[in-house]
Amino acid sequence: MAAFARSELRRQNYGSAFGQVWLILNPLLLSAVYFLLIVIISGHADKARYGHLTASLFIFYLVTDAIVAGAKSITSGGRLVLNSAFPRLMLPMSAAVVSLFKFLPTLLVLVVFHALLGLPFSWTMLWAIPLIALFFLFALGCAIFFACVNVYFRDAQNLIPYLTRTLLYLSPVLYEASALNSNLQFLKNINPMYPLLDMWSRVMVHAQLPNLHELYQALLWTALVLIVSTYLFLSREREFAVRI
Amino acid sequence: MSSLSASNAHLQKKGDTAVSIHDLSVIYKTTLDKRPTLRNRLLHASRGKKQTRVVHAVSNLSLDIPYGSVLGVVGANGAGKSTLMRTISGILPPTSGRVELFGNVGTLLALGVGFNQEMTGRDNVILGGLAAGLSKSEIESKFDEIVEFAELSEVIDAPMRTYSSGMFSRLAFAVAVSVEPDILIIDEALSTGDAKFKTKSLDRVKELRSHNRALILVSHALATIEEVCNEVIWIHKGKLISRGKPKSVIADYKKFLEVGSSPMIDEDV
Repeated sequence: MAAFARSELRRQNYGSAFGQVWLILNPLLLSAVYFLLIVIISGHADKARYGHLTASLFIFYLVTDAIVAGAKSITSGGRLVLNSAFPRLMLPMSAAVVSLFKFLPTLLVLVVFHALLGLPFSWTMLWAIPLIALFFLFALGCAIFFACVNVYFRDAQNLIPYLTRTLLYLSPVLYEASALNSNLQFLKNINPMYPLLDMWSRVMVHAQLPNLHELYQALLWTALVLIVSTYLFLSREREFAVRI
Repeated sequence: MSSLSASNAHLQKKGDTAVSIHDLSVIYKTTLDKRPTLRNRLLHASRGKKQTRVVHAVSNLSLDIPYGSVLGVVGANGAGKSTLMRTISGILPPTSGRVELFGNVGTLLALGVGFNQEMTGRDNVILGGLAAGLSKSEIESKFDEIVEFAELSEVIDAPMRTYSSGMFSRLAFAVAVSVEPDILIIDEALSTGDAKFKTKSLDRVKELRSHNRALILVSHALATIEEVCNEVIWIHKGKLISRGKPKSVIADYKKFLEVGSSPMIDEDV
């Protein structure tokens, strides 16, 4: 799987120096665009807000990238699926691993930004490691789900940009969780990414400990997404060779 | 895989069963649309139209393949040969019946499976070998042999997108035959490259014939089947029509190809 993921990274040109620069430049430009938008809309901006936006966008794109790549993983791996006996789960798994590899260099940018913005550093920021693991498992669950759905409905991948954009607006990425309108508090319970993103912001921007209630919520959501999608995938994978 | 093959070598004798297929049927549903979409599904559902068809690819087929044999499989397009090979290799599940394998199986159903055009020939030897079930150390030990066989030592470090289709096929074939499993299934992979390479690949397949290996060869090249195989089966519409010595089965099959369908073949057995 590691060899497959490495070859995919190289296919996407991330083996070259310019490819790696683009890996960092792309989310950076995106955060700059969103920051401009927020400044124009709200008329003010502070350092913590920009730190939150950058950190949240970077990790949010880990998940959306895994979903997009995972959705195509089975349908674009047709020759392999048709002609080799191997666990099909390996394809969305390597798509998610590639997304993780693409995310990791952006952590360096986050640390530099954090220092430049004068945001606090603390040992509690080490909570980022288990949180990244949780984000990865959640992204993996989503990648597996969409990989399976896309075999049966090839237009599912056309819906993904709309789904991820909606998820972006319903998640504490462009705004902090504390700024959420009281009428919209229910989002905290129905959006699986909400607790994950709020914890990420607490840890990476404010150098605080994650909220325990949110940690339980995130663990439950991740386990649920992973179990349901893996069950769906494994119950269907033997049909893939005749559906492709 | 080859180490397993070597360890099994002393256990398997000519005549021992390598593959046992009992009353195998493979039936699957496939969509009528080339590209199944949610939009089409909803459109067809609203019109009350069926969007899938049932394919009876293999019907009640029983077959034993012993070690030491080279079994040729012939049949017209759509006869169910590839489905049968995919079922034996574990890619497709049987709908009913049983497939038992007494050894490890290697498949050469398509060339270049797992290859990445953007990577070099060298990287693709590793990727293709891993996809075929070899370990990294096994690939490394066979690397020079593979490159030499493919006659690509001068361009092995160039990206595969710069290869001609013949060069691509040669490397893919060389990687595929470097795997030496107990049971090897080759489906239409011998028509690769130019005349010289075709002879070379055929010779390699002949080398792979041994007492402790079973080979299954699917091909439309009847002369090759007659030359390499010691037994042939003829499949039509998923059913086993005949089995026997290459000469007689191929003669019957040729007669069928000239005449078209016959009552004996179309009979629902």
